Formats: sequence, structure tokens, C-alpha cells
Amino acid sequence: MPSNGKKRALVVLQLIGANDPLNTVVPYSDPLYYDNRPTVSVPADQVLPIDDDFGFNPNMGPVKSLWDQGKVAVINGIGYPNPNRSHFRSMDIWHTAEPDKIATEGWLGRAIRDMDPNGENVLTGVNFGRGLPRSLGCRGVPVASVGNLETYGLFPDVQDDLKKEQTLQAFAQMYGGFSGRDPVIDSLGQTGRDALKGADILRTAPAQYSSSIEYGPSSIAQSMKNICQVMFAELGTQIFYASHGSFDTHGDELVVHGKLWQDVGGAIGDYYADLEEHGWQDDALLLVWTEFGRRIKDNSSGTDHGAGGTALLIGGNVKGGMYGQYPSLKEAEQIDGDLKANNDFRSTYSTLLERWIGLDAPSIVNGQFEQFDFIEK
Amino acid sequence: MSNQDIAQMAHLMRRAGFGATRDELEEGVAKGYEAVVEDLLYPTDPQNLPDDIIRRYHTEQAELRLADGAAAYWMYRMITTRCPLEEKLALFWHGLLATGYVKLNQARALLNQIDTFRRHGLGSFSNLLAETSKDPAMIIWLDNHDNHKDAINENYGRELLELFSLGIGNYTEQDVKECARAFTGWTLGNAEYMAMRASRDSIWPYSRIAWHFEFREEDHDDGEKTFLGETGRFNGEDIVAIIARQDSTARFVSTRLFQYFAADEVDEDGQKVIEDMIRSYFDSGQEIRSVLRTLFNSEYFKSEKARFARVKGPVELVVGGVRLAGSYRTPTQGIDQVARQALYMGQGLLQPPSVEGWHEGIEWVDSGALVERVNFVAHEMANVQNPGVRRIIERLAAENGGVLSPESLVDHCLDLLGPIVVADDTRTALVNYAAHEGDLFLTGHQPEDEAEKRVGELLSLATATREFQLA
Amino acid sequence: MSTRTTKQQFKLEYVKTIGITTNQSGRGFINPYDVAISQDGRIFVLNHCDSARKNLMRIGICNLDEEYLGEFGKGSGKDDEQFNSPVAMAFDSQDRLYISDELNHRVTIFDSSGSFLSKWDASGNGPGELNGPAGIAIDSQDNVYVVDQHNNRVQKFDSGGSFIAQWGEAGSGPGQFNLPWGVAVDTQGDVYVADWRNDRIQKFSPDGEYQASFGESGEGDGQFYRPSGVAVDSEGYVYVADWGNERVQVMAPDGSFQLNLRGQATLSKWAEDFLAVNPDEKRTREMSTLVPNLPPHLNTPHHVSSQTEPYFWGPVSVTLDGEDRLYVTESNRHRVQIYQKK
Repeated sequence: MPSNGKKRALVVLQLIGANDPLNTVVPYSDPLYYDNRPTVSVPADQVLPIDDDFGFNPNMGPVKSLWDQGKVAVINGIGYPNPNRSHFRSMDIWHTAEPDKIATEGWLGRAIRDMDPNGENVLTGVNFGRGLPRSLGCRGVPVASVGNLETYGLFPDVQDDLKKEQTLQAFAQMYGGFSGRDPVIDSLGQTGRDALKGADILRTAPAQYSSSIEYGPSSIAQSMKNICQVMFAELGTQIFYASHGSFDTHGDELVVHGKLWQDVGGAIGDYYADLEEHGWQDDALLLVWTEFGRRIKDNSSGTDHGAGGTALLIGGNVKGGMYGQYPSLKEAEQIDGDLKANNDFRSTYSTLLERWIGLDAPSIVNGQFEQFDFIEK
Repeated sequence: MSNQDIAQMAHLMRRAGFGATRDELEEGVAKGYEAVVEDLLYPTDPQNLPDDIIRRYHTEQAELRLADGAAAYWMYRMITTRCPLEEKLALFWHGLLATGYVKLNQARALLNQIDTFRRHGLGSFSNLLAETSKDPAMIIWLDNHDNHKDAINENYGRELLELFSLGIGNYTEQDVKECARAFTGWTLGNAEYMAMRASRDSIWPYSRIAWHFEFREEDHDDGEKTFLGETGRFNGEDIVAIIARQDSTARFVSTRLFQYFAADEVDEDGQKVIEDMIRSYFDSGQEIRSVLRTLFNSEYFKSEKARFARVKGPVELVVGGVRLAGSYRTPTQGIDQVARQALYMGQGLLQPPSVEGWHEGIEWVDSGALVERVNFVAHEMANVQNPGVRRIIERLAAENGGVLSPESLVDHCLDLLGPIVVADDTRTALVNYAAHEGDLFLTGHQPEDEAEKRVGELLSLATATREFQLA
Repeated sequence: MSTRTTKQQFKLEYVKTIGITTNQSGRGFINPYDVAISQDGRIFVLNHCDSARKNLMRIGICNLDEEYLGEFGKGSGKDDEQFNSPVAMAFDSQDRLYISDELNHRVTIFDSSGSFLSKWDASGNGPGELNGPAGIAIDSQDNVYVVDQHNNRVQKFDSGGSFIAQWGEAGSGPGQFNLPWGVAVDTQGDVYVADWRNDRIQKFSPDGEYQASFGESGEGDGQFYRPSGVAVDSEGYVYVADWGNERVQVMAPDGSFQLNLRGQATLSKWAEDFLAVNPDEKRTREMSTLVPNLPPHLNTPHHVSSQTEPYFWGPVSVTLDGEDRLYVTESNRHRVQIYQKK
């Protein structure tokens, strides 16, 4: 645990739509890869080599450069038993850490509840995007969903400063009274005051931020910038969430997938450089996940839903390297034409919960799972 | 017409529908409370935005490939219908007999189920349960296509008893098994292909193929069964008939209807109403319409005590706000965003988090949701071009020659928006806000001039109150 | 003594289906609304796209052998090469492609390699101004007829965009329209308009003089429900995309009913490619009845088509090529069914 007073940050980036693992960490020395992917494969001379067998997609330059510094852990063959190939269902499984039935509490929501049982800081978890991701959903746990940090808050349509002040003042007054008789009205009052406070506090973050990093124009780069702004403002936020997509490359994969990784890779590079400039690189850890993998065989333009994927962990305190086993492409070792996962995603979750944040994992992920050793300290 | 009559009609329309404009309330009071209740209970032609128009200008609502288009389609219905109880009740059944896009990956099947609720939601509960058991969305949702004569799958049988009727403690494990046996063979046409495509969210090659019910006789366990003490070679319809006759079913349905239409919390007085509703249930042959009539005409429901005793769910808030503002009555790019807003607030149409539906009441409003709620309605009310807002401005301009003091402006706005009854603190805050700019002069007002804008701003603030969050 | 007229037997034979649904750029169609055939026989497909995929708006190009030949268009927006709601397109004699956009209120012209040439974007209700341009048809003199939907009229331009004539107003009488959609020109230069909400096809001279009206509201033979498209072949047979009834009807030149097509799509080459790499879907599909019996409450044409994959679903337009082939473009099924007139 850090001794510099900083509260550790867990940044979770969801790749929506099922990122293709075979074209992310490419097994370029395996002839089976090219046999199965006659059209949708990365040529061997274009990969960014990790070693003689594997290499990153050529659009992942910034990730490769962090890999070379030992800051990237790759979890190969990540998944869960009885793979589900429906986007929504599989995302829910990852969100709620429950493959066997439909659950309603998100793993990060539970984590926030354990971190702040009395709800003292309404900004413990912040989502950068509209609509609460199910990972963060948990009854009684407030989470701000920030579409645009600059304009976040109540009455965004009111532009005039004086009018805005008068409006918010009126709001505070309307939500200020305590009746002692009507629990619903009183609860609404508290909620309104929390919302006002949360928005007031979050609005100070961009103003306090100063950085030489020029983030790229993509929406994910802007989200990562917002994340840094809130992180550096030390508002007590520890869980940061963002997402990008769609990685559902059933067609035209090489072009679409390449562009997506240009955007995501660039955003990650900018984010890490910003962390370093502000001395946060050892206190922030980024998890990049996706809901499942894609088929081994291509459909001559793209790939369809599969199983067994790849996750990434990036941070100053990460022990760089390949974890899990790279799944075999041999027919005998496939499941219905798909890669077979060899480690449960809840192992990665457990590692993060216990070794990074310091929480009890089994109650959050519904079971005991063997942990990885990808965290330095 | 008295203020009391208006307030009572407003309460009825908030509960049995999504609220009403002042014009609609005056029409209702002129007709008479009981007459309006009968109109609500016997929906005729909803005169909603027609399907051909919707499909021409919203391709996604023609194809219904994804949840967004389907949610938007239902939004149009709720926003433009002249039969609001039909939609409000469909929303109720959707939360109770819940199925969701997350597993089905079939937006059309979900809308077809909502249509089942329109066709059968006010009729006999036994019939509704039978139709629900045949509904393809429900069959896939609770895996009944995997329920075979030689390999029972209890999922539907169990949830039917636990969540859709009797409730835990009113049946045994053996009853669950017998119930499941009776529903073997209740599946979809082309079940294997449809289930395969649902499980992998397949839209290939030519988009989704919609679902329909099929009874596979050869897969049906036709043997003798003993269920809730009765014995016979029961099929699903027989089971449903037995279930619908039970006291615990009547209690379950009446209680849930009470909580949804009358009050989140059931107190002693409420309990008495529920007993009356149960009696109506049996006297009418299990007709939901009769149960609701008993509720809407009860002294409890009509009394002041029942007003504002519910927290508006997100869909209710969104649809109510849009109906008040008069927006989205014609094909509008951005209708899908309206459905999205309800999702951001915690209630995604056609996407309940589980078969238990949504947790209602104060849980709807956490700080994130409150920000979305306030901002959405504020946005609609601040737009003085919206027909409903213009109507309010017209009415205000007719008061006192269009000259309104801050107090008068606030009181009239609260009246025209509900009427909303607010605490003194709330009213003071609104008056103080209006007083910053002194008296309002609406005489000779022009579209979007400063006077009109002031009205829009006050309406935004008035709908941001805690009281507006309640129904 | 009575004489009996022998009617020439009109036959349309199903040839094949091309297309597949897609979420990305490249091979596949996304809610196609129209096709146009270039002089060298390439098939240009107008992808109207639903609101979630607006950024993928484009014209895709393929051929009868289902080879993917390319695409152009830069997604959704107001720039020259972008669209907001593209509805129809047609080639002129120089292989210039004219595309209508009912939300950008303009007609954009590209060459057949996809390069932007020019646009007509005056919006309003004056002569030459557009409010919701929908159907487009071009005659042998390269006169361009544009259905001006919200102005309930047809406008005629020359190929340079100069206004020539207009006719029509809101209503249900002869020469009046109610949200008209598609338009076609026959070899005589007469103009046929799919008068959508009046459930009929109206025929005019090249100057806009009302000549005849085919059809009335209904589901029966010779009746329409919201017809969206029309085409006329060299003999004067009239093909109607009877959108609301999910079918295609053919009328003889005298307006008498000839036949109804409900659709009979089979697997395209791209569809077969997909199933080849998804064997479990292929296996369960082969066990299925793709034309099932349906319960009574699902009996509208829209519902029936949603359940019956081979049937037309959202047949927005009908197009004829120089060899009497009929192309029926289905928005909800992301494909084009092709028939041959015999």
C-alpha cells in the first residue's frame, strides 16, 4: 500500500463489442493462425514483436512502448466456464462476476461499498460516460456518471453565470429543508444535496489541472484526460471507469480494428505520460477488458463472436509480462471453433481487489480464485 | 370546477397514466371522476403516432433489431396515446412478468410481449398468465424451450409460482416439479435455431427472425400430476387456472397493483383497500379491470392522503415530462435519446435487470439519477417552442392582463404543472428566484422573447423540486 | 359472337438474392433503400442505415456475382460526401449518380467512381427548392424528376439542376399527393409517382398533366397499402413496391392486376460464407421451417414478414435494368432479391 498519502486509483477501461485477441497479441509464428485467418490476419512483418512467437497489433505502438518498460501485464486466455457469446449477457457476467445466474450487483459497486461503507464520499467511484455501467451498479452506492466534465452538473442548459448561480442557489434551498416526518422527502433532500456537492466538487477538477500532455481527439482520449483531471485533483475518487467501442468486427476488421487500437493505444499512451508528469504512475493501475474473444476462423471480412480473450494491466507497479497461457489454435484444443480460456476473469478481479486496493475479494466476486502475481507492491 | 376536483383528477391521471395538462384535467373534471375511470378502464382507439409514419422515418423502429429502436417505439406509444392506462398497466406488467433484452437479444419479441399486455392486461388474470406462458419472450427468458418430457427444466415453473403469482411459502417443491411437467412442450417454432441465435446475438444473414409460440405435443408430459392438492392430466392452461383461483394469488396481484398505483408503502388503511380489491378479484372472475376499478374509486385512493405517495419511476418521469411539454408528438430525430434518458436514470425499457423487474420507490433516486431527472425535464420545459410550454405561457398571459408578481407567477406555474403541492421552503425558494427579476410582463409577448424565456426557466426550476419527483 | 382476348402470360422468375446484414463498413448492406445499375452492370446499393449506424452511410458497389467492388460516402453529416437520410438514387445517360437526401434537403451527384460532382441544395417550398426529397427518376433526355415529399409535389430539373417544372399539392384528389415517395419514368417519358399515403400510383405526362391513377387502399389484388416505389419496363408494365403490404405487385399498362410477389429469398453467397464458418448456426437453421404457421394475432403483413425470412420485409424500391431484371431492395432484410421477366 502506498505511503505517500495518495489513495490508489483503479482505472477500468471496457472495450465494448468483443475485442479480437488473435489480432491484438498476434501469434505470428504459428502457421495455424494464417491458415485460419486467410483474410483477416496481421502480416508477420507488421507486428510489433514481443518475442519470436508473439507481437502486438501494429496500431498499438504506445502500448508496446510501455511493454518495453515492463509496465504491461498481458492476461492471455481469460474467460469463464461455458462461454456465452451474447454481448449483453457476457458483459453482465463480467460486470457482476457471476457467470451462473443473473445478478444485480456490480463488482466495482460492491468494492465501493466496502471501501466507503458510510457513504462519506459521493465521488469514490466516477464513471466517464452517460448511464451507469453495471460494474458500478449497487444499491445505495452513489456513482456520478460524467458525460462531459467541463459541463457536468445540474441545469447544464443555463449558460449565464449569474443565472446559473441563482438557479443552483434556489435548488439548494429547495432541497435544504428537513421535515423529520416524511422519510421520502428527507431522503430526496439528502440525495439532492449530495448531487449538488458532487457536481460542485467535480467541477473544480479541470480548473486545478495543468499539464503539458496534448491528448488525441478521440472520445476515449478525452475520457482518459478527464480521468487524470479528477485523479490529480485528489477528490478521493478511487474507481474510474471508461469505455470505447465498438470492437464487434464482423466485417472489415483489419481497418476498423486498426483504427480502434490507434485511438485506444494513443489514449493509453497520453494517459500514462500524464500520470508520469504528475507522479501518479505508481499509484494508478489500468485494467483493459472485453466481454469475450472472437472466432479463430475469419468470415473473409471480419470475425464473429468467439470465446477466450485477452486483458491488459498497465501501471508503474505492474510486473510486466505474459500471464495465463496463450490458448492453442489446434483443432483438438478448441471449443466449438473457439479459443479455450484457461483462467477465470475473477482471478484477475481478485488480484486487483486484494493486492491493489486491499479489500476482501471472495465476497465481491462470489468465490475464491487463484490470484496472479502481476502487482509489484 | 373546484381546485379540489382538479387536484383529484390530476392525482388520478398521474397514477393511472403519466399525468395530464391543465386542458386535459378540465376536460376530465367536466366529465366526472367515475366516468373518467371507466374511460381509462375501457381503452378504445389510442390514436397514437401511426406505425406507417414511424417506420418510414425511423428505420430502426421498422426493423427493431436492437433494444434502442424498440424502446423508442414504446416511448412514442406512451407519449402520444389517448389511452394512458393501457400503457401504464403494460409498464406495470413489464416490471412484474419481466423479460429483458440482455438474454433475448430480440427487441421485437419484447415488444410483442408488451402488446400481449395491452390485449390481455385488463382482462382475467388466468388468461394473462396463460398468454404469458405462451409468450416467446418469456419462454426463452426462463428457458422453457429446454423443458422436455424426458428432461425437465424447472425455471419457468418455479418463477411462475414464486414471482408471478402465489409467492414463496404458498407451494411446495413438489408443486414446482409438477408445474414444470405441465409446461413441457411449450416452446417456440424453430426453437433450436432461435435459441442458438439468441445466445450468440446473431443478426446474420438477414437480420432477426421473430418468434412465435409452438406446442410440441410429442415433447409434452401428458401424465397425471398433483398440483396444489388437485390431481389430473394437467396441461399448462389447467395449471394456470388452478393458480389463478388461489387466495394467495389474489392477494399477490392486488398488493402489487396497490403498490404500483396507490402507494409505495402499504399501511393499515391501505391493507383494507387491498382486501376490497381481493374481493373484487373473485367476484369478477379474476378480472384485473374490476380490481383496478375498486382501487381507483376507493375513498383511500381519492383522499389527499394518497397523493404524492409514490416516487415516479424514470419512465414515468420522462414520459410525464414530455407529455406536459408537448414535445415528440411527430417523428423526431432524437426520440431514441428520450428512451436512453430513462436508461441513464436507472430504468431501461425492455431491459429490466432481472426477472424480478425493478426495485421501485425511493431507490429510484440516487444522486446520479437525480441529476439526469432534473436535467431532462428542465430541458423540455425551458424550450418555449414546445407546444405544451406555449399553452402554459398562453394561460399565464391571460392572468391579470399578463402582469404577474413573483408569488403569482410561482403559484400559477405550480398549478399548471400538476397541480404540484410544495413545502413552504420550496415555494420560498421559487419566489426568491422569480423575484430576482421582479414582476413578469407577458402582455404582447413574442415567441422566445425575454418574458417567455423567464417562464421556461421557472418551469424548469419548478419541475426540479423534490415534490415533482413524486406522483 | 364473342371474341376472347388472349392475354400475354406475364412471368417473373426468381433468380437470386444478394446481400447480408453488417455492422461495419465493407461487405454487406445496412438498411438498403435503393439500387442503381451502372452501364457496365455494376450494382450500386444505397445504405440508408438506422440511427445507430449513421456513420456507416455509404454507397456500396457489387455485381450479380456478388463480388464486393468497393464503396464511397463519408458517413453522416452535412458535408458534400455525407448524408443525413438518403432515400433514392438514379443514373443518368452519362453514368452520373443522383442521390436524394430527405433530411439534408438536397440532391447530390457523384460519378460512378464515387467522386463528388455537384449538389442541388436549395431548401424551401419555392420553385427548385426542396423539402424532403425522396424518389428520383431520370428520363432519356436526362431530365431529373424529384419527389418533393413535404411539399407534396414533383419537381422536374435538367441535369445541370435548373428548375423546369413542378406539379402537385397536398390532398387526395387527382394530381394531389400525400407524402409521396418513389417515382419512375417510362419509355414515353410519362411519370409515375408512388403516392404513399393515398395508397395509389399516379401517372402524369412529362409536363405534369394528370393521366391516370392505379390502385386504392387495401390488401387485395390491385390494392396497395403505402406504396413506396415504382418502376416501369419497356412494355409499360408497372412494378410497385407495395411497402405496407410487404409485397411487390405488377400491373399491365392498362392498370389491370397481373401478379403479386411475396418474396422467396435464398442464401446469398455472403450468407453462405457466414454459415460456413458458423456451423452450429448452419446446423440449427437446416432443421428449421423458414415459412412457419403463425398464431392469429401475428397476422399483419409486417408481422408475417418479420417471422418468415424468405418474404419481402421493408421492400422500399423496385428497380429494372436493361435486361428486364427486377431488383427488389429490402430495407429490413439488408438484401436485394432479383427476378427475371420472361
